[in-house]
Amino acid sequence: MKHLFHQFSFGRLSIRQRMTFLICTLLLVSIIIYGYANYYSIKKASLIVGKERLTAISRQVNNTFSQSAQFLASASNAAAARKEVIQFLKSRGTLYRSETLDILGKLRRDSTWVWIGLLDSNKAPVIRTDHSIIAIKANIGDAISSARGSGDFSKMGKIYVQNGAVYFPIISAVNDDGKTIGYIVSWKSLLAGSKAVDQFSELVGARSTFYMGNTDGSLWTDLIKPLSQVPFTIKKMGEVLEYERPVDGEMMAMANGIPHTNWVLVVAFSEKSVLTGIKSFASWIIVAGVILMAAGFIAASVLSRNITKPLNLLTNAAANISRGNYSSQVMGDLDGSYELRKLASAFNIMVGEIDLMRNTLEKKVKERTAQLENVNKELEAFSYSVSHDLRTPLRAINGYSVMLSEDYEDKLDSDGKRMLKNIINNATMMGQLIDDLLSFSKLGRKELTLSVVDMQSLAEQVTDELLHNEPPGKYKIIIEALPPASADQGMMKQVLLNLISNAIKYSSKKPNPQIEVGFTDEAISTVYFVKDNGAGFNMAYADKLFGVFQRLHSLEDFEGSGVGLALVNRIILKHKGEIWAEGAENQGAVFYFRLPKNLNES
Amino acid sequence: MNNDKIDVLLVEDNPHDAEMTIRALAKVNLANKLHHVKDGVAALDFIFARGEYKERQIDNKPKIVLLDIKMPKVDGIEVLKQIKADEITRTIPVVIMTSSKEEQDIITSYNLGVNSYVVKPVDFAGFAKAVSELGFYWLITNQSAD
Repeated sequence: MKHLFHQFSFGRLSIRQRMTFLICTLLLVSIIIYGYANYYSIKKASLIVGKERLTAISRQVNNTFSQSAQFLASASNAAAARKEVIQFLKSRGTLYRSETLDILGKLRRDSTWVWIGLLDSNKAPVIRTDHSIIAIKANIGDAISSARGSGDFSKMGKIYVQNGAVYFPIISAVNDDGKTIGYIVSWKSLLAGSKAVDQFSELVGARSTFYMGNTDGSLWTDLIKPLSQVPFTIKKMGEVLEYERPVDGEMMAMANGIPHTNWVLVVAFSEKSVLTGIKSFASWIIVAGVILMAAGFIAASVLSRNITKPLNLLTNAAANISRGNYSSQVMGDLDGSYELRKLASAFNIMVGEIDLMRNTLEKKVKERTAQLENVNKELEAFSYSVSHDLRTPLRAINGYSVMLSEDYEDKLDSDGKRMLKNIINNATMMGQLIDDLLSFSKLGRKELTLSVVDMQSLAEQVTDELLHNEPPGKYKIIIEALPPASADQGMMKQVLLNLISNAIKYSSKKPNPQIEVGFTDEAISTVYFVKDNGAGFNMAYADKLFGVFQRLHSLEDFEGSGVGLALVNRIILKHKGEIWAEGAENQGAVFYFRLPKNLNES
Repeated sequence: MNNDKIDVLLVEDNPHDAEMTIRALAKVNLANKLHHVKDGVAALDFIFARGEYKERQIDNKPKIVLLDIKMPKVDGIEVLKQIKADEITRTIPVVIMTSSKEEQDIITSYNLGVNSYVVKPVDFAGFAKAVSELGFYWLITNQSAD
C-alpha cells in the first residue's frame, strides 16, 4: 500500500478519476460552507431565543419574589396599623401588652421568622415575641433609614449575613397622627435549602442557577448559602451577560431588580442548554453531508464515466486500428455531448479515409510487387543468358587458344606464344568478371538464412583452403578465439574468403607476411577485423574500396576484378551491419565489419 | 546405327565445347567409345533406341552420359528426367555439364537424380582437367550397375 500513497500525484490520475475528485472536492467545499453558514445563523437565532427565555424567566421569578414581598409587607403594615399596637406604644408599654404580643405573634407564619419585635421611635426594642430565637446584631437603624429614604416602608430590607445564615428584615412604621412613633421589625431567613432550590431550578428549566443580592452589591447568596463573590459583573439590568463556568462552559445570565425589595436577582444558565438544538442540527448536517457526498461521488463517477466512455471507445478504436483492424468504428453509446459526437464522427471519417488509403496503397503495392517480380524474372533470365551465353564463346576462345598453343607450338615464335597467352589470360579474366558480377547481382535477391555461425572455425577453414597451394610457413596467421555470429553461413564464408584472400594477396610480396583475424566485443554487436601488413592503401581513397569495379591497385601489381569488397559490403549491409577500413600505403590494412549480436529474420 | 558398345554418350549442341570435351577425354584415352549427339531429341532416341537408333538394344547402355542443359528442342533437364523416370535407364550415370551456375538448375538436377553436376570452367586447363577426372571416375573407377 505504501507505494500507492508514496507515488500519488494528481497528474497521474486518469481524466475520469480527476473529474470525480474535482466534483467531490467542490461538493465538499459547498457542503462545508453551506453547513457552517447555517450552523452560525441557527446558533445566533438560538442565542436570541435563549435571551428571550432568560428575560421571561427573570421576569417570572422576580414577579414571584415581588408578590411574596408585597404580601409580607402588607401583613406587616396591617399589624402596624392596629390601634392596640399604637396604644401600646403611646402608653409606653402599659396598655394592650398581651394584645400587641398576640398581633405580632400572628405575623409569624413558619420557622423562618427568627425575630419579631416592636421598636420605639428611637429604634430601641420595646417588646419582642417569644419566637425571637436569634439576637440579630444588624444595625437596624440603617435598615430603617434605607427604608425611609425610599419612602416606602413595605420594601424588604437589605439581606444580612450572620453566622453563615442569610436574613432580611420586614419593616413597617407605626404612625399616630402622621407621626412615626415606632416600628414593627420581622427578621426572616432567606435561605431555602438546596432541595428547594433544585426544585425551583427544575421548575424554571434549562439548568438554571439563581443568585440573589443587595442592589448595592454588598452581599450575594445562591439561596443556599452566602457567597463571598459572584463570577459576573452586572453592567446593566435586563441585559444578557456572558461568563465562563468551569464545567458548563459559556454561561448566559440576566440581572433584574426585584420590585418592592432592595434585591437583585440573577438568572443564569448554560448556553449549551439552549444550543442543544444546534448540536442536533450539526449532527444532522454531518449525516446529510455524508449522504450528499456519497450521492455526489456516485453522480460524479457516473458523469465522468459518461464523459470518458466515448473517449475510451475512441482510444480502443484507435488501438484496434494500430493493430490493423480498420473496420473498427466508434458506434453507439455516443449519446454524449455534442462535442464528443463530433469528435467520434470526425474519427470515423478519418478511419474511413485511412482504410481507403490503405486499400489503395495495398493495391498499388501489389501492382508494384507484381511488376518487380516480373523485372526480377527478366533479370534472372538475363543473368542466366549472361552466365551461359557469354561464358560459352569465352570458353571457346580460351580452348582454341590453348589447343593452338599445344598443337602448333613448334610453328609459333615467342611473340606469337606471348600473344596467345595474353588472349588466354584475358578470356580467363573476363570469365572471372562475369562470374563475380553474377554472384554480386544474385546476392541482392538472395534471402538471409540465419544461424549461429562459428566464425573462428570458418576463418580457420577459409585460411587453410586459401593457403593450400602456398609453401607452409610463408604466412604468419593469427586467428583469435572469435565469438560466433548470428548470420548466413554461406555469406559469412564469402566475407571471410574475400577479406582473407585479399589480405594474403596484398601481403604476398612482403618478406614476412602476417595476417591477423580478431574481434572487439561491444554491447549489442561484435566487430570482427582482418588485418595484414601488406601493400595497404591511401586513406584518401578509402571510400572507393567498396564500390563495384573500383580498384586501388593496378592489375599488374595485384590481379582482381574489383567486385570482392563490393560483395562483402553488400553482405554486411544485408546483415544490418557496417564495414570500414583503415590503412596506409605499404603499411598494411585493417578491414573491420560490425555485426549485430541478435539479428532477427525480419 | 549399329549396336556397338558405347561407353560415353556426349550430348552437346555447341560444336566447340564438344570438340574440347572430346579432346580432353582423348588425351587420357577415354574417347574411343564415345558417341556425340547434338540435341535432346537425339539423346533420348539413342537412350531409348528409337527413331534413328531403333536398331539399338535398349539395355545396351552407355557407361556415362555427359549432358549439356541448354539445347534446342528438348533441353538437358527434360532428357535427365526421362532417363531417371524409366526403370531400365535410371541406372545410367548422368553428369550434367553446363556453363550455367544457376542454382535452380543445380537443385532441379539433383532432385531428378543426377549423378554429378559440373560447371564448365572458362579456362581450358580447368575444363580439360574436370572432363578427364570425370571420365576416369565414371569409366574406370566406378563399378556400373550392369
